Amino acid sequence: MRPFLSIQDLSFTYRGSDRPALKNINIDIEEPAFIVLMGHGGSGKSTLCCSLNSLIPRFFRGEYQGRVLVKGKEVSRHTVPEMSHHVGMVLQDFESQLFSTNVELEMAFGPENHCLPRQEIGRRIEQYLAFVGLKPFRHREPASLSGGQKQRLAIGSVLSLEPEILVMDEPATDLDPVGREEVLSLADKFRQENRILLMVDQEPETGLSADQIWLMREGEVVTRGSPEEILPDLSRLKSCGIKPLPTIELFERMGWSGRPLTVESAISLIEKRHLIRQRRLFPTPLSLEGSISSPILSVEALRFIYPQFQTEALRDINLSINEGEFVALLGQNGSGKTTLAKHFNGLLKPSSGRVSVQGKSIAGYSHRELARLVGYVFQNPDHQIFARTVREEVGFGLKALGENPLTISKRVADALEPVELQGFEEKNPFALTRGERQRIAVASVLATQPRAIILDEPTTGLDYTQQKNMMEMLRHLNQRGHTIVIITHSMWVAAEYATRTIVMKDGLILADGRTRDIFANEVRLDQASLRPPSIVRLSNWLGTQALTVEQMVDELRKISNSKHQ
Amino acid sequence: MTNDQNFLNWNLVIGYYLEFGIWDLVIGISKLIMNLFFYLDNNTWLHRLDPRTKIIGVILLSCLCLCFNHPLYMATISLGVVLIAVSSRSLRNLWLLRFILLFLFLFSSIMWPFFAKGPTPLGSWGIIQISRESLLYGLAMGLRLSTFVAIGLIFLSTTRNEELTNGLIRSGIPYPVAFALSTALRLVPTFAGAGATIIQAQISRGLDLESGSIFSRFKKFIPQAVPLFIYAIRHTQLLAIALESKGFSPESKRTFYHELRMSRVDYLTMALLLLFLGLALYIRIGLGLGVILAGRV
Repeated sequence: MRPFLSIQDLSFTYRGSDRPALKNINIDIEEPAFIVLMGHGGSGKSTLCCSLNSLIPRFFRGEYQGRVLVKGKEVSRHTVPEMSHHVGMVLQDFESQLFSTNVELEMAFGPENHCLPRQEIGRRIEQYLAFVGLKPFRHREPASLSGGQKQRLAIGSVLSLEPEILVMDEPATDLDPVGREEVLSLADKFRQENRILLMVDQEPETGLSADQIWLMREGEVVTRGSPEEILPDLSRLKSCGIKPLPTIELFERMGWSGRPLTVESAISLIEKRHLIRQRRLFPTPLSLEGSISSPILSVEALRFIYPQFQTEALRDINLSINEGEFVALLGQNGSGKTTLAKHFNGLLKPSSGRVSVQGKSIAGYSHRELARLVGYVFQNPDHQIFARTVREEVGFGLKALGENPLTISKRVADALEPVELQGFEEKNPFALTRGERQRIAVASVLATQPRAIILDEPTTGLDYTQQKNMMEMLRHLNQRGHTIVIITHSMWVAAEYATRTIVMKDGLILADGRTRDIFANEVRLDQASLRPPSIVRLSNWLGTQALTVEQMVDELRKISNSKHQ
Repeated sequence: MTNDQNFLNWNLVIGYYLEFGIWDLVIGISKLIMNLFFYLDNNTWLHRLDPRTKIIGVILLSCLCLCFNHPLYMATISLGVVLIAVSSRSLRNLWLLRFILLFLFLFSSIMWPFFAKGPTPLGSWGIIQISRESLLYGLAMGLRLSTFVAIGLIFLSTTRNEELTNGLIRSGIPYPVAFALSTALRLVPTFAGAGATIIQAQISRGLDLESGSIFSRFKKFIPQAVPLFIYAIRHTQLLAIALESKGFSPESKRTFYHELRMSRVDYLTMALLLLFLGLALYIRIGLGLGVILAGRV
């Protein structure tokens, strides 16, 4: 049987780069499969995706060796539009993929390009709108859909071309947990279609339902195999910049046999082998920490109405964040997290209520004064990087605030130290990696030495290693006395780093408390369509205090030691 | 149904400008553009017309407006246009832009009497003379200007962006040109949105837009313009990837899901409009009616 897809000795180096993005890749796929492709940032995942539909070498130029065959067709000999008959491509950034004025026409665009007759286009619209579950929205403008719906539409608009291979490059990375679920469930459904699905994703949980997992490292496909083969190999996962499954990590560190992939299988293993007994989780007594320090950010009876939408984005919020806290703001898109955070540094003005910084109403500050007290790091570093050198970039705020050059260069050096970018002063910020640019953005806010720093999605777009580095850096800043507030969709980030967690839903605060207590109440989290990370769910079941594998190992050892004594 | 989100509020636009500066003004204006190009999803006779008929209809109706300069005759045509708006359910957009329409009407009505001269003087102040005819002529011109805008608005309220593109292609304009035009229109609000985020990010870092001379203000523009420029390049590149990956290539042939077909109603509409135009020309030229100031359009 002729293979569906055959990659033969493929190597590629982008023009202007001296390091190959792909190195000697050899893969044959004989039958339909759901493949999850994982690897660290810059490992060549996107490059491999692009080589399947001729974007490489046709759109992105460079040195190309080897060949890729799709259904016997040599990819590099065909244009991207020609390859669209066989290979569909969904990108991470769903905003830029949609451009029609309604859902139906978006779905029709591909078949129109393929010159299909009107009736056939109609049939495909019906079939694939139903597949992606957007039939009720067929006359809506794409811009009015939620993130998850937009990405589903982007997938549907590619499926309507009926490609044999569907490639999705991080389709769920920019989505909130609900949107992520929506998109991943489509991936599962697609398996019944008898085609190949190749999906890039960072989360090891995504790999669980795959037929095959491919791991990439520095341009090479290091290994391929079933989830049961790939996921238990922790050292290899870590070397590829992938977060290990916490259940497997726990079992390995505890010296227990068995490598459970899910919480459920971990629980049944523990029960069957009596590895450890369930306990009752006692809420810890409130520490006195909070009462010592004074509030830095506080909000009373805050309401906010977006004038364009005439809907209440925030409804009666009361909140006080103390100096030195590490707070995570959780909630779906549209729950009001970002709207609330933008009040803290005066980017938005309350419709009613009061916002205070260090006890003084925000109306009494100018933007300049606020910039020195509350720093705000936006999600995408590329929304603010403009300068030719890192020094100029990081010193921008200080210059705008009228500091003298001597102070500026000292403060820039001070700000680059905690983000571990010392010596980068003369580099061009645009030439740095995404993780480094994220750090530049943090440093440029740090330079004005604000008391509190708010970060919108600080880990999005970073691989596991970079995420960990970023969060360790924030923890370090927190220990130095900065108040940190992060807005995040990543549950493990919140569980592992924040001491306090606030859950928002529909413009209201649904829960606010110690992170351990918030994650203990799975029912309430579920109301906000959130789910604790798997290690915390296991911890909830066991009745331990642990929020990370590390803590759980320590705690379980202590428990068993005290029993033996 | 989605129209509420594009509701335009001029006070808001001006308020934004005072609050945040130039980018929010750009957003305001682009919202206005979106509004102008904002299609009202209904299914009236006008919506069902072939876009080519509608393009020709706009031209014929505009010619009709040029036939008379007597306010009563002009008002008849304006009334006709309002009726078309009612029957195509696009009155809503006219109402949204009522201030613009009113402004155009008043501006024209007040300004024209100073320039046009008529035989029946009402009064004179120095070199300025106002006559009865010039006043009426001003009214007619005011009506004409607002009616022009109203015709355009009705067209845009009943024609999809894609249909417009489609109609342009079928009228002989090459597909890449028509496609580029409609894509450019759709990118304006996207870029304006990114501009707003960028300015917020820079304000958060201490960028002060509230003070400074023109020169220093220009320097402050760079931290806003560079990230936006890079965003625009990135965005258009992704768009190009998405387009090509869905089989789009500008040279090759394609089909259209909304196929254009001239129906009986289309021919009837055009015939009727031609008839009206002929009639109006006969009234004006043949009978010499509908004129308040002879020798002027």
